[in-house]
Amino acid sequence: MLERATSDTMPAWGRLLAHVVVWALGLAFLVPFLVVVLNSLRTAQEIAQGSMIGWPENWAFLNYSEAWSEFCVAQTCTGLQPFMWNSAAVTIPATIVSTLLGAVAGYAISLWRFRGDTWIFGLVTLGIFLPQQVRLIPWTFVLRDIGLINTLTGLVVIHTIQGMSFTTLFCRNYYVSIPQDLMKAARIDGAGFFRTFFRIVLPLSPPILIVTVIWQFTHIWNEFLYGVTFTNGSQQPVTAALIGLNAAIADVPQYGVQSAAVVLAALPTLLVYLFGGKYFLRGLTAGAVK
Amino acid sequence: MMSVHRRSVLAGAVGLMAAPLGARAQAAKPRLTAISQWSAGSDGAAITALGKKFEERGGVWQHSPVPGFTTDMMNKLRAQIISGDPPACSQLKGPEIAAWSKIAPTVNLDATVAAAGYEKVVAPDLARLHKPGGKWSALPLQVYRTNTLFLSKRAMDKAKADKIPTTWAQFNELGEKMKAAGVPYPVANGGARADDGQKFEAVLAGISPSVYRKAIMELDDKALASPEVRAAFAQLRKIADWMDPNTAAQHFSVFLPRFVAGEMGMLIQGGWAQGVLLNGGFKLDDFIIAPGPTDNGKPVFVLNADAFIFWQRKEADLQAGQKLMAELVMMPEIQTMYSQITGSIPVRTDVNLSGAGWSAGQVEAARTLKEAVAINQSVLSLAHNMAQENGITAAMIDVLTEFVKNKAITPDQAVKRLGEAVASAR
Amino acid sequence: MRRAPELLVIWVPLLLAAAHIVVFTAWTVWISFTASTLMPVSEFVGLRNYTSVLATRNWKIAFDNLFIFGGGFVAFTMLTGLLLAILIDQRIRGENVLRSIFLYPMAVSFVVTGVVWSWLLNPGMGVQKLVNDLGWAGFRFDWIVDREMAIWTIVLAGVWQAAGFAMALLLAGLRSVEPDLIKAAQIDGAGPLRMYTRVILPTLWPIMVAVLVILLQMAITTFDLVRALTGGGPGIATQLPALVVYDFMFQRGQIGRGAAAAVLMLLTLLGVLVPHALFKYARRRRAANA
Repeated sequence: MLERATSDTMPAWGRLLAHVVVWALGLAFLVPFLVVVLNSLRTAQEIAQGSMIGWPENWAFLNYSEAWSEFCVAQTCTGLQPFMWNSAAVTIPATIVSTLLGAVAGYAISLWRFRGDTWIFGLVTLGIFLPQQVRLIPWTFVLRDIGLINTLTGLVVIHTIQGMSFTTLFCRNYYVSIPQDLMKAARIDGAGFFRTFFRIVLPLSPPILIVTVIWQFTHIWNEFLYGVTFTNGSQQPVTAALIGLNAAIADVPQYGVQSAAVVLAALPTLLVYLFGGKYFLRGLTAGAVK
Repeated sequence: MMSVHRRSVLAGAVGLMAAPLGARAQAAKPRLTAISQWSAGSDGAAITALGKKFEERGGVWQHSPVPGFTTDMMNKLRAQIISGDPPACSQLKGPEIAAWSKIAPTVNLDATVAAAGYEKVVAPDLARLHKPGGKWSALPLQVYRTNTLFLSKRAMDKAKADKIPTTWAQFNELGEKMKAAGVPYPVANGGARADDGQKFEAVLAGISPSVYRKAIMELDDKALASPEVRAAFAQLRKIADWMDPNTAAQHFSVFLPRFVAGEMGMLIQGGWAQGVLLNGGFKLDDFIIAPGPTDNGKPVFVLNADAFIFWQRKEADLQAGQKLMAELVMMPEIQTMYSQITGSIPVRTDVNLSGAGWSAGQVEAARTLKEAVAINQSVLSLAHNMAQENGITAAMIDVLTEFVKNKAITPDQAVKRLGEAVASAR
Repeated sequence: MRRAPELLVIWVPLLLAAAHIVVFTAWTVWISFTASTLMPVSEFVGLRNYTSVLATRNWKIAFDNLFIFGGGFVAFTMLTGLLLAILIDQRIRGENVLRSIFLYPMAVSFVVTGVVWSWLLNPGMGVQKLVNDLGWAGFRFDWIVDREMAIWTIVLAGVWQAAGFAMALLLAGLRSVEPDLIKAAQIDGAGPLRMYTRVILPTLWPIMVAVLVILLQMAITTFDLVRALTGGGPGIATQLPALVVYDFMFQRGQIGRGAAAAVLMLLTLLGVLVPHALFKYARRRRAANA
């Protein structure tokens, strides 16, 4: 990081150009979210009578309080708030458990080699290519048989098991770059599977664990299909409530309040990215994904 | 909890032995579990109002809305059926009622329907859809006409026109007039698949309701290849040429400001568009509502209806709830309340719409329905999944939406493709 | 006995994860040969579902689009990510802010941003209208209503979402290039261009493969984006296999055909992955023999 010899070879005008290009791109990347934020401050009528994209005429800050605690989905007029907790109740445990299991599995596959490890790793990794629409009906049968249909626990189970495809992939690829010498030393000291994991591997892991947590958190938080199929009314995740706000056919969609709800629902993932982002890069720099 | 459970098991056993529910089931406090898509807007308000009525009669109302597309609601329903726990009733419409009632047992509502003398006040096509195998197992809630013509007042003024077109020839004349007078797009539209299908069905039903019945509802091969279907495609091409090519996949409501401003002239939509216009802050004198053009000069009604299907449950309280719900949705005053909230018209053709709370458009549509039923000119909507099961509907709409979006396809090619799509989906 | 807990921790979750993939895939293959409509049934119908899926225009269009979209999305995301990474690596002011800006699209669900993109790309209300209103009346940006070009709007929005992720990984790679390597090249008199193409980029190869896998995964499972952005239109011009699968299974109530489409999609994927695996295997063999 200290020796950035490549950039030193850049002439001054080159660096200026780089600044212009990268900041222009940055602004362009912001536009879609900016449109949502601006709409969240416009009234429904203003949007219905004008255009979808525009500057607020009257700043409708009340959209936010309405989105948070007032609007109604069917008879329950609680706003987004309880649904945010539902999402958290699924996302947080599923993220933590799937990350830990993925870390142990990745460690076992990469450093503790065992018979059939390549095969099982290949199979688990192939799972990332299996679209979740295809898994919907099989999961219904599984949830019925284990008695977890219409429970948040059922969703946690699904996201944990499915999530292991990604978490195992990420962690295994990271642990592969841990020198075998370290492992040998540990083994000579007589350290077992768990001792080695906790003493040597885990302290080296924060970067990749953060990457994995960010990935899992955003995917589970933003998931809709399972969330709406495997829950009932008041247990629904926040994505379902968001779409519930989008009165589909017979009404003017409430774009103002809807946009405010979108911003609120996106806050947790945005914050995770903002705070985690720093570590995300640090994690990757340490050779995370190879 | 425990006592309710035990009682319901007991009553369920009794119910199984004796088909007529009798006094025993009546003793339980009626409870209804329901799933629907109606989570917000006037749909949400209407179902909530219905729930209040249910509670007023001592029932326990447990509605859980499934937001999103109809497929999301169906996925939920499938999951509940698989887990052996179907809702007491759920939103379902058209031929899907018959299809789904094959995968899980439904309630036989014949006695309740007969007691209400309901069958004779419901359009025969509609009644047929809700009694698969000859037994009532579902009930329609409300009716919409999909071939409603909305005219922009300002576009009419621009074109110096005051006559409402009643045939497709007059429609075309007015379109030319508007175009010449500087209305950039004589036809307003949305970009969703259903929008394209809806225009086709309005045209074909207007050209010949009997061919529509044969071709679209009965999938008669000869009718599907008939000159009328070809003429409908030619008319659809005309309409497509008059639409803003830039709508992409936007909802039709996005373009209503331009429609009202007179940049777009004529909108072929369901009756619900009236509510959308009014909720968007526009006034009743910004637009004119009229029945869709019909070439034989007699009323044609392309029918769309929302409905609830009732799933068999053993619990006495749910059975009592189903009976109460069925009785409620057949009542004229409940249908009046429901339609006045959503802007639809009542299922019953004998409801009096002269009272307060009805718009001129609703009164006209209800009258047209009655007249169209009497002369067998009421047909079922294709675009809104009333005419065919979803698999065939989707295959047909594929052809229609491609035809609208691709000007290189000729009406003859389209007729051929429509036939092929039907054959491959069957 | 001593190894029981570790066996439990390694094998139980891994086996669950692998088993759900194997069983669900096998189930889907089985269902694709049955007459399943609204519910899975076991009546065998041979290849009938395959012949009817292959005969539909939807599938043909979706299959072609998979290659256009997959190729375009992966290539442009990689290029954009690389460009951003190289630019940001030039000691840009506000690097932290920029990194967050480029990464945030990954945090927000397409159920949300897809709608905004559909507005921005709509010629009547988005970018084209803005430029037209600014005075350049002849400016056209109407891909979304053009049957040939519409698929590229999906590529564009997809690149916007994933480019930051590629950037982060590649930036991490750039930062871990050995300074000595760069110094040596400088002594040889290599200019900035030569430096990147000959010295730095080759060391990024492993990271690029990792990015490739993740992007490929995204390309194949793309679903929400299309549903929110074009709804598969104009007409059926932007269908993708994942949409066709969902459409048959759940919209059309033809689960058997949907399963057949899913199997065809997975076979296509294998067609890409198997040669890659064979190539890797052959190379390893050659390296071992050498």
